[in-house]
Amino acid sequence: MAANMKAVKLRIRSVQSTMQITKAMQLVAASKLRKAKEKADSSKPYLNILQSTLIDIAEGNTDFQSCFTKIGKSDKWLFIVVAGDRGLAGGYNSNLLKFAEEEIKGKDVSVLPIGKKSVEYFKRKNVPIFTDEYAEVAKINISDCFGISKLICDAYRAGEFGHVFLCYTNFVSMLSQVPESCSILPLSDFDVTDSDSEEEGKSRNLILYEPDSEAVFNFIVPEYLAGILYTSINISVASELAARRTAMEAATDNAGEMIETLSLYYNRARQASITQEITEIVAGAEA
Amino acid sequence: MSSFHLQVVTMDGLAYDGEAQKIMLRTVDGDVAILARHINYCTAIGMGTAHILMEDGKERKAACIGGMLSVMDNVCRVIPTTWEWQEDIDVSRAEAAKKKAEERLKDTTLSPAAIARAEAKLYRALVRIGTAQK
Repeated sequence: MAANMKAVKLRIRSVQSTMQITKAMQLVAASKLRKAKEKADSSKPYLNILQSTLIDIAEGNTDFQSCFTKIGKSDKWLFIVVAGDRGLAGGYNSNLLKFAEEEIKGKDVSVLPIGKKSVEYFKRKNVPIFTDEYAEVAKINISDCFGISKLICDAYRAGEFGHVFLCYTNFVSMLSQVPESCSILPLSDFDVTDSDSEEEGKSRNLILYEPDSEAVFNFIVPEYLAGILYTSINISVASELAARRTAMEAATDNAGEMIETLSLYYNRARQASITQEITEIVAGAEA
Repeated sequence: MSSFHLQVVTMDGLAYDGEAQKIMLRTVDGDVAILARHINYCTAIGMGTAHILMEDGKERKAACIGGMLSVMDNVCRVIPTTWEWQEDIDVSRAEAAKKKAEERLKDTTLSPAAIARAEAKLYRALVRIGTAQK
């Protein structure tokens, strides 16, 4: 019994120190989350308006002169997958990577992973990697986004791939983050989702481009790409922190519960041993 | 004068969302002014000062660099890379950036990419200073 008691005590101590760590991680994630959420919230309208504007343009576009609006000649896909740098964030990384895996299936792809977990995953899976220069999602700033966007645009122009696709985690609320994907290039990919509605006689809007559509798209697309990357990375970072906070909160709660059951068990064992000792002494005195 | 719906949105959030009578800004092709009931229109924004004539007749200015402008069904959306209202511009910072860029450009051993970067910095600083002083 005494040995058992010691084991239980040790177990309690180890759970306690784990709890300290999870608690600290929860607090860190919570305080970082506040800042990240502000950033993500402020960039959300940008993403929405930018996307709806480009959908309008793609719907109304009648001349496909620019290589960014034409349907891609190449069947290759480029997937940009934004995941986290570190684990211990609940299902954040695995949900996103599983989701990306589903999307990739059956396509001829190369991947531009952002975030260490994403890089590791696709390296292990032997998926061709476009560049792993941007491994650390936490360090990416706006000028990096312009760098990535330039890289993609140059490769796209050179015909290295015909479609560009983005997978990231959308921040729905503090408690729910959902992996999402959207098509980025070419702009004509936007049409695919609501091709049914067009047949109902929705007239195409004619748009005047100045100086001409090709020049406009050549200016706009790299900026649009950088903007979309930056905002989706912001949103993903907020999602990661929220997921980590929730996961660590659950871990702390579980540790608390475990300590409770263990100390109950320990106290019972202690009492039992005392009772046994008394019985032994009494029995010894009577003999 | 009739007004139209204007949205100015940057990566840092919604800078303006409301009615306006006129917006004038510099595109890659020169200055344009958008009034109500403009034809559907799309262009890329250059570097310059944007003037917005509000519904109440007041004018606001801002430094406006890069991005795109689109008019769709009488809704004008301006999506610039940088948008700073005149009153928010940090002039001393812009002056410092201008000086630093000028110093850098004096160096003749720079690579073309570095020169382009320094020039872009100089132009941005000049636009900010110009907007603040108007």
